[in-house]
Amino acid sequence: MAPKSGRLYAKAVFTGFKRGLRNQHENTALLKVDGCAGQEDARRYIGKRCVYVYKAKNKTSVPNSKEKSQLRCIWGKVTRPPGNAGSVRAKFRRNLPPQAMGCRVRIMLYPSRI
Amino acid sequence: MAKNKNKGKPRNYALDSGVYRFSASKMFHKKAIHKFLKKTVAKKPADKKPVFVEKKIKGDKNGGTRMVRVKKLTNNVPTMDLKKKNTTRKSVFSKHSRKLRPSLTPGVVVIILAGVHKGKRVVVLKQLETGLLLITGPLKLNGCPLRRINQRYLLATKTSINVSGVKVPETINDKYFARVKSDNKVKKDGNIFENKKEDYKPSEQRKADQASVDKQVLEAIKKHPQGAALKSYFKAGFGLNKGEYPHKMIF
Repeated sequence: MAPKSGRLYAKAVFTGFKRGLRNQHENTALLKVDGCAGQEDARRYIGKRCVYVYKAKNKTSVPNSKEKSQLRCIWGKVTRPPGNAGSVRAKFRRNLPPQAMGCRVRIMLYPSRI
Repeated sequence: MAKNKNKGKPRNYALDSGVYRFSASKMFHKKAIHKFLKKTVAKKPADKKPVFVEKKIKGDKNGGTRMVRVKKLTNNVPTMDLKKKNTTRKSVFSKHSRKLRPSLTPGVVVIILAGVHKGKRVVVLKQLETGLLLITGPLKLNGCPLRRINQRYLLATKTSINVSGVKVPETINDKYFARVKSDNKVKKDGNIFENKKEDYKPSEQRKADQASVDKQVLEAIKKHPQGAALKSYFKAGFGLNKGEYPHKMIF
């Protein structure tokens, strides 16, 4: 019926973990959202769910589907904007792997507040 | 009759402490009020309550009914202590207050953000008792049927259609959408592992309701000043493109 719709998430990059100069706290990730500059913009994303999607060698089962896929994901939530530069803090169910730094994280548009 | 020596003196008098000498019942006798009261109400025969009540019981070979005492005997102590149900639980789901975001009024065109129908633009019809919203594609335009969705997965747009004329049947409520439990009685004869998961097929009732509601919604869309454009709006899906940032968008 309807053509396959486009992207329903905002693109973000995992820039690093929450850290001071010499200590880092891996339970909180810092994400830089595309096009987001400033705390005002970043506030729009608070509470939204985010996913880090990655591929693995072995196939694992997918919920609600019989086929197994190589895609895996780590789900998390945007918690707050740190600082004034438009980035965003997120906490994931399991901490993000450091090799995800520089990689794409998707920020979904739900739970929606509009 | 003996001469009344107390004639002229009051029958009841106060003692030094302030309390009166004779009580109300004594005065009743002294004044012989029984002679002046004539109203008596006939005693109503007491309603006879049954001692035993017949109750139905399950099971084919149990005789069907039992005679159960209405008032249990004092020596009737249960053999097992039943788990006490927490009846003092104050907040029960059915009594929760349902809130509705002000932007999600009936008739608003909404974008579904997650689920099978993500990206589709649909019409909000009403809020159901559990707080979920009832939406419809309409089915012909974007393949989304009458469905329940949580408000959190909907992005309200500023576009709305006048659905005041659309009458959603009262039968369409939460029970209507409840998942149908399959009565799979595990028979010892058949193979337990052969229970097939049947694919969901919409019932005739659903199809009929869908058609009747959609008809009204489509008419409402036609009446909208931008009706023609709206139709293709519904058919198209929503997606973010390059340079489109949700935080900068007004929907």
